[in-house]
Amino acid sequence: MSNQSLATSPEEQRALERFYFHEARLLDNRQYQQWLGLVSEQISYLMPSRVNVQVDNRARGNEDMISVERELEDQESMGCPIREETYIHLMVRVERAYKINSWSENPPARTRRIVGNIELMAREDDSLSVLSNFHLYYARPGNEDVIYSGQRRDTLLSQEEGFHIGRREVVMDYANIAMPTLGLLF
Amino acid sequence: MSLHISELVNEDASLISRRCWSDERVYALEKRGIFGKSWLFLGHESQIKQPGDFVQAYMCETPIILSRGQDGGIYANINSCSHRGLPVCRADHGNTKRFVCPYHNWSYSVEGNLMTIPQETEVVRKPDKSQLGLKRVPRVEAWRGMIFGSFDEAIIPLDDYLGDMRFYLDAFFDRFPQGIEFMGAPHRWVLNANWKLPVENQLGDVNHGAFLHSSIIPKEAQDMIEKLGYSVVTTPGHGATFRLMPEDSPIDEMAWGMEGMGGMFGGDEVQNYLREVQAQAAERVGDLRARMKGLTYGIYPNLSFLWSNTSFKVSHPRGPGKVEYWSWSVVPADAPDSIKKILRTNYSSFFGPAGILEQEDSEVWVQQFIGSNIDFADDRPYYYGLGLGEEKPHAELPGLVSVTANEFYARHFFARWRDELQAVEGMV
Ligand code: FES
Ligand SMILES: [Fe+2]
Repeated sequence: MSNQSLATSPEEQRALERFYFHEARLLDNRQYQQWLGLVSEQISYLMPSRVNVQVDNRARGNEDMISVERELEDQESMGCPIREETYIHLMVRVERAYKINSWSENPPARTRRIVGNIELMAREDDSLSVLSNFHLYYARPGNEDVIYSGQRRDTLLSQEEGFHIGRREVVMDYANIAMPTLGLLF
Repeated sequence: MSLHISELVNEDASLISRRCWSDERVYALEKRGIFGKSWLFLGHESQIKQPGDFVQAYMCETPIILSRGQDGGIYANINSCSHRGLPVCRADHGNTKRFVCPYHNWSYSVEGNLMTIPQETEVVRKPDKSQLGLKRVPRVEAWRGMIFGSFDEAIIPLDDYLGDMRFYLDAFFDRFPQGIEFMGAPHRWVLNANWKLPVENQLGDVNHGAFLHSSIIPKEAQDMIEKLGYSVVTTPGHGATFRLMPEDSPIDEMAWGMEGMGGMFGGDEVQNYLREVQAQAAERVGDLRARMKGLTYGIYPNLSFLWSNTSFKVSHPRGPGKVEYWSWSVVPADAPDSIKKILRTNYSSFFGPAGILEQEDSEVWVQQFIGSNIDFADDRPYYYGLGLGEEKPHAELPGLVSVTANEFYARHFFARWRDELQAVEGMV
């Protein structure tokens, strides 16, 4: 992925925005079943874990020295990512949300997310690499309110009915995980 | 209000005061009487294979650097500079020759010895560096690659401390020709809960599955667990729960790892590997333990092993009302990388900070702490009496044995806890 986003058309940028804003509204309105309709059945839904790494002396003076990538234990690593999920996992999460005995969601959380910095980074046939950032406010009775902040690295599949999420990697910004769960739909 | 430990836990430990979970003074006694006197888990040898390798650890709230010395030995030192107390190691793990303190650049070897004091060239009387190394954890011992440390010089050997738990741990470790390996840095997250509840939960509380987790665990699966399930206490504070599968169970039901997400959906390669492990199990661990399918394990005071989802966990206190919970995915050391990567999802799908089940556990741990803080209910201690006195010795299984609904694992934990606090009562 080059460092510059693609010089896309206003129409295409608008289409991406429409998709992400719609998705955000579904998630905040707890319409997860409709959200699942936006997801490819082949999806990889990933969340690397983030560690405090040792400074590499040889990299001093270079941007590499403090790159975000060095902090991630992702799917390729021999560490342990926080989430490596498939459509089945997401289905379980969605089904669970509508059961009366889902105790950690009862009463359900109130969330509000702002999605922005939508950048189309690459295109290969019908598949688009898109970055976006989010801030998500989360409040639940009996818990302290928290803010989740992160970046999403998506592969969107452009199909006749619209976009489908083919891959999503969520890079969370935390030093300590002081949140009730990282198991939300981001 | 005065505090008497004897009033917090009754004689048979069937009544547990709310103050055990929430009182600052109890916590101060726990630090001294329990965390100062027990073997505490630091890490696994697979995390520090090469000279210079290190990982961070904690003993209660005390930060520790666990390292492999240039001589190949294992070292555990308190991560705090002898000059003004700063942590000298900031990375979660890595490999280094020196730890350099940021403030005045005193530097320490990976074994913890003080090597240089940059300022000493400018003064006449040189400090004695041999006396100024990092504070060493006085006792460090390992068993099957599991490294423990203790602040108590006089503590019994680790082997004796683990006692008959070794029989149950080996049922897992010895299944694999090269034992197990820890994958990557631990997931560590902070919960507003008391450290003892995650411990109690993993020590033997299989019974909440059917209720708290009923949105995920099907009733039939939970019924099977309870039907085939055993709970044992080897030494008060240590315990294990597991299923003993019928001798004629099909291999896919018997084999460890098959019922996790990775095992179920990971494809032929991983399934064949798991069958292979099971096929060799009787030879490696004997007939009885080959049929053993573990659920939860606990090692006093704060180490847990979730065999069913292959994760080791440590509950690090951060005060009475906060815990930093660490958990690692554990995989067979001999498995190819491709299989290790699939098997780690047996852990992360359901446990860890995003786990579908663990989000329910952590929710109740936080809620329990709220209940433990309320006023005007001190005359209503928690009821720990289920199955009182019903545990018995067993012909083949070491320890006291009972059904999983019997809360004896928790009563034994709290009886030991009470006695160890009483031994230091008045000293804090
Ligand atoms: S505090 Fe560490 S060198 Fe001064
Ligand atoms: Fe649980």
